[in-house]
Amino acid sequence: MTGATAVERAELLETARELARRELVPRAAALDAGEQDVLATCWRQLAEIGLDRALLAEEHGGSGLSVSDLLAAIEELAAGEGGIALCVLLANAALATLPSEHAAAIPGGARWALVPVRSGAEATVSDGRLEGSVASALGAYGTEGVVFAVQGDRPASIAVAAGTPGLELARDEAQMGLRAAPAASIGLTGIDAHADLTQSDGASAPADAGGVLALLRAGTAAIARGIARRAYGMALEYAKARRQGGVAIIEHDAVSEMLAAMAVRLSCPLPAAAGAAAALAAKVAASDAAVASTTDAVQVFGGTGYMRETGIEKLMRDAKYCQLFPEPNWVAQDELMRLACD
Amino acid sequence: MRVAALERPLREEFPRLLRDGERACELEALRARTRRFADEHVRPRALEIDRRTGEDPGWFDWELVRAGAEHGMLRFLIPAPAGGEGGSPIHCSVVMEELCAACPGIALIFGAHALGVSPLLLGGASHWDGVLAELLDSERAGSPMLMACAITEPEAGTDVEDPDLLRRGRITSHARRVPGGFRLSGTKRFISNGSVARWITVLMPTEPRRAAETLTCFLLDTRSEGFSVSRVEHKMGQRACPAAELRFDEVFVPDELIVGREGDGAAETMIVLASSRPPVGAIATGIARGAYERLLAWLSEDPAARGLLERQHVQLVLASMEEEIHLSRQAYMDAATELDSGALGRVRSDPSVRALGHVPASIRRRARVRRWLASERARDATVALLHRTTSERALTRSLALSSLAKARGADVAMRVTGAALELVGLRAGPVRAELEKLWRDAKLTQIYEGTNQLNRIEVYRGLCHGETVNCLPPLHRAHVNADVPRHADLEAGTNGNAPQRPVVGTVVGAVGGRV
Ligand SMILES: Cc1cc2nc3c(=O)[nH]c(=O)nc-3n(C[C@H](O)[C@H](O)[C@H](O)COP(=O)(O)OP(=O)(O)OC[C@H]3O[C@@H](n4cnc5c(N)ncnc54)[C@H](O)[C@@H]3O)c2cc1C
Repeated sequence: MTGATAVERAELLETARELARRELVPRAAALDAGEQDVLATCWRQLAEIGLDRALLAEEHGGSGLSVSDLLAAIEELAAGEGGIALCVLLANAALATLPSEHAAAIPGGARWALVPVRSGAEATVSDGRLEGSVASALGAYGTEGVVFAVQGDRPASIAVAAGTPGLELARDEAQMGLRAAPAASIGLTGIDAHADLTQSDGASAPADAGGVLALLRAGTAAIARGIARRAYGMALEYAKARRQGGVAIIEHDAVSEMLAAMAVRLSCPLPAAAGAAAALAAKVAASDAAVASTTDAVQVFGGTGYMRETGIEKLMRDAKYCQLFPEPNWVAQDELMRLACD
Repeated sequence: MRVAALERPLREEFPRLLRDGERACELEALRARTRRFADEHVRPRALEIDRRTGEDPGWFDWELVRAGAEHGMLRFLIPAPAGGEGGSPIHCSVVMEELCAACPGIALIFGAHALGVSPLLLGGASHWDGVLAELLDSERAGSPMLMACAITEPEAGTDVEDPDLLRRGRITSHARRVPGGFRLSGTKRFISNGSVARWITVLMPTEPRRAAETLTCFLLDTRSEGFSVSRVEHKMGQRACPAAELRFDEVFVPDELIVGREGDGAAETMIVLASSRPPVGAIATGIARGAYERLLAWLSEDPAARGLLERQHVQLVLASMEEEIHLSRQAYMDAATELDSGALGRVRSDPSVRALGHVPASIRRRARVRRWLASERARDATVALLHRTTSERALTRSLALSSLAKARGADVAMRVTGAALELVGLRAGPVRAELEKLWRDAKLTQIYEGTNQLNRIEVYRGLCHGETVNCLPPLHRAHVNADVPRHADLEAGTNGNAPQRPVVGTVVGAVGGRV
């Protein structure tokens, strides 16, 4: 992965921004309602600009972007719709986990997702078989395949194509946030963890659980930031237009202070690289900031903000999920301290 | 996993009740009754109703309202002489906390009903044998009616919740004087129970350009011609209770259904808010408690949480939840007690109010007496009683304490539900959906009953700055449009000279009414 030149990067970001504005924002409510055909339409458009396989080298049919380019693009997409941005992150994380030739064998435009799994608590690999259950795997429902990143003593990454016997995926109807990346409850019985991906029923790959988790965390930070940007933009616009007390509400300190705090939170840069510790810290900071900003954004809208049609309460729900994925922030902070002590 | 409410006696939760054994027993009984209703009817249905109303906001569970009525959830605020339980904001708060720990959306149905009833308690005895009796009759007949209160309009949300802002706000609704009453036009927005209520207390100015001076409270029959529900909102949470947009197209309201006096609406609104904000603090406290109880149950019972209770982090989070919930409970109890025994305490114990409570309903219901109770003189007497027994400063202070409890409670609800959700994480199973719902529900408490920002402005004015807000209607009001005949006068053929009798106070324990 050599990454794009500055010009290419700027172009890529502009394309992602445009796509978010023109295609994702108008479809955000439909995506939130879980409409699968709308997700498929958006996914096709993302695949056309190569964001479904952004990190894969060009010789393997990918876009050959660097991680930081991908993260920047994900932030732009999330400023349109957070769940779609998560689909892009999960697909790229899934492919990045696989050996390049296996990743290359996945047909272009196919949506895969990476599912981090705690070894023992959720799933176990023994005798070459993957067994267990995962309660709510974001983005896994409706995919053409899932890569399980098993964390623990013996990390492993196991790719399983949809339809493989022993793989059961049920939609998590209760999912509150990032609903464009539909979550699934997954049952795993006797999944062959050795099979070859090119036969499209499964493959094992050299595990790089630390790297892939760092990517998920940095990506979640980028999504959180995109969501917070959108919330700020919407709240600012509304605060200039809505009048109470004879003036635009932005004239009231109570409102302008909330907006200023949103701007301040956005002014803290995300780390450019996805090192393990930096990614953890970024994901905690960005998701906490996104929750604070989106909650205040709803507040700026008053009662209108509480209604679904405004689209602002959705940002609050989406941001909350960034605090919980790939692990709750308090667990991420634990991990951060573990790294600091190592 | 079945989540039960924490079994603690009320005295442990409100230590000050130790000083008032009788009241403690009475509130304990009320809470036990509410808890029975919550356990049998609310908890088991909460998630399902939230899902259904998420898909179809117009869906409404009348079965639940009937069950609530059987447990007394609709009558605790109705004055005792009218046949209710004569509760105060303290009672309302105890009920709200208990119901909200089970489901805030379902609780809001009963809370919004109480809000709709509240202005009538200020209106004196004239409503005892009118709409309040009708509410109780409908309950007895097994088809309970609901009420709502409509203050907010599209161009004025915060602006209608404060008399000073009202002067600068853009009020687009209008109540036009016509012979015998008023014709109401305009739109009200986000009205809880608005689409299911049979009666609504509506605040509208008779002169929109002088809204603060002419805001008036009307009791509206939703079967009236010209009234319609133009939409039911798709909400983030508290969905079991519909929030509706209401259209008024020249809806006629007769004079006797004016609540209080024409033009007293702004002051009445402030007293209503002073008495409804402690229960909103209780709603928020109940939400936080509901999350805390679910979290505790999950931590102690769910195999997925094994070992977590030994973690210091978890223990500290739980301790700070206890702390926050305890303090926000004391805050709403302080505010409700201050209003009940302080600012409005002397109203409730005034001999004239007590005397009126002993007048048999059969006498009260005689046409002449009813006409008199609805007369301008009786309304003046009600205001005079308020002036005699309380002051604007006392009410301002009370309003500020209520606002403090509301804003503080709402923030606690957000923090506790958010922290509980973060502790259990995405993969916790069914408890996650319950906590997510409470978190969505919690957000509303920062918005309704005045946003937290407005509430804190009231705290500044009432407590930090020692201001006095216009919370009392003027003692003397030149009757506006005195030349236009009133409806009662038209019916009685007296053309403005309703029979005049010595004044017996008619305020019945403003917001409450045990005599
Ligand atoms: C689900 C729901 C149920 C409701 N139920 C009822 C009901 O039963 N009856 C009823 O009458 N109303 C009801 N409301 C309305 C509620 O009380 C209002 O939403 C609330 O008062 C805020 O008004 P608004 O929505 O117009 O917001 P706005 O007043 O437009 O406020 C927007 C933002 O500006 C800020 N702001 C406005 N003015 C000032 C100021 N002067 N100083 C500082 N900041 C300011 C606010 O704090 C807020 O952050 C309900 C609302 C909701 C969402």
